[in-house]
Amino acid sequence: MNELFDHPAFQGGVAPLVIALVVGFALARTRFAWLAIVAGYVTMVGLTVGFSFTPLTVARKTILLGLLAPVIGIAADMLPRPSRAIAPALALIAGAASLWVFQTILQQRELSAALVAGTGVALFVAVLVGSTIRLREYGLRGGAAGLGLGLATGIAGLLSASIGYFLAGVAVAASAGAMLLVQVVLGRRIAPGYTGTLTIGLLTALFAAGSLMLAELPWYALPLLLLVPLAVALPAPERMSLIVRAAIFAVYALVAAAIPILAAWYAAHGSLT
Amino acid sequence: MSKSLAVLILAALPLTAAAAPDPFTLDPMHSSVNFSIDHLGLTTIYGRFNKFGGKFALDTAAKAGSVEVTIDTASVDTNENDKGSRARSRDEHLRSADFFNAAEFPRMTYKSTKVAFTGDHPATIEGTLTLLGVTKPVTLTVERFKCNPATATAKERCGGVAVGKLKRSDFGMSRAIPSIGDEVALTVAWEANKD
Repeated sequence: MNELFDHPAFQGGVAPLVIALVVGFALARTRFAWLAIVAGYVTMVGLTVGFSFTPLTVARKTILLGLLAPVIGIAADMLPRPSRAIAPALALIAGAASLWVFQTILQQRELSAALVAGTGVALFVAVLVGSTIRLREYGLRGGAAGLGLGLATGIAGLLSASIGYFLAGVAVAASAGAMLLVQVVLGRRIAPGYTGTLTIGLLTALFAAGSLMLAELPWYALPLLLLVPLAVALPAPERMSLIVRAAIFAVYALVAAAIPILAAWYAAHGSLT
Repeated sequence: MSKSLAVLILAALPLTAAAAPDPFTLDPMHSSVNFSIDHLGLTTIYGRFNKFGGKFALDTAAKAGSVEVTIDTASVDTNENDKGSRARSRDEHLRSADFFNAAEFPRMTYKSTKVAFTGDHPATIEGTLTLLGVTKPVTLTVERFKCNPATATAKERCGGVAVGKLKRSDFGMSRAIPSIGDEVALTVAWEANKD
């Protein structure tokens, strides 16, 4: 049994998928169904590094923000009068929070290098979170974005010498895939709201930035990740069944995800072959 | 009166100098910080750190001493830096956040808290290792130690070998346990010149 729990495929893929399916189905009739994303991620954390928070490293700050994101998301979703300013405000706050996450690394660099890295990471996190939040009304597109962003950050993380970010990205992908399945099985869309999209956007943005700062991910892979939320916003025929539309959005997301993965591959191998 | 006091102070100076521990600086060319760890229960992987520095102080008469070593975590070397057709080498992976997290914690330090002697030689060094922002006690056993006296052309020089063990999970480095062992064996071999 211990061998199963220690296997990376179980830790990052199977366990988060199963837990996210359970949470997704259990909460499908509530506005909290997309807590499945954080449930899957937390499962991976529990099976791998655990929940120690001292010293407060980059990885642990990422876990803390991953836990905080759905709480903020629920609060935003429950506002009686949603404002247009919420989405950009959350994106800007996420960008600022990324500076806190990477503060210990930025402090060790020379001022000019720290400014460039800090501004770049904060901008990337803000834009990716903003792009993902835009999908909050669309259950299939939101799920496909999570699938693509999770796989892209996970595989790119692995190619950048980080098993930790690989498992984290795959866990988000598995959880988002679970939410696609829940919608297909129940035959109805479940809007991710801020709860789902903020969690997906913030976690995957921090995974990618972490692979850049703590491992070997090239900087040019980061803007390429923005293609994923753009791709799932492409049109798909409305008259088709839910399962076909889910498949189309998943294909959009996976094709877009392949581009930053190829960038990480290129950085690792010096060619695309 | 003042003349007698001055004589007394001058007479006491050599005693004061003799009581102070002799400071030494590690000679990196003739020192190494090595480690070994179990892999899959099949074999032992050996590694070392290529950049480090440190000082120790020794007072054999008072049987006292102190050690402080700082190690550059990014200099980890397991003789596997050529990735070949793979995406990344083992050493690149060891530098990442999965293990030494060199970008966030570029240095680890060992500071002694007590040096116990057997005869004229240090036998055990109790101290603390700070790795990944976590400080835990680590005791080193001095397996050999010898000093060569100063000559007309060279300063006094001491050398030795110390070994110890630690659990990497105690420092929060828990990735891939048990495939890669938890217990790490340390061997520090050094030569140092008297300052």
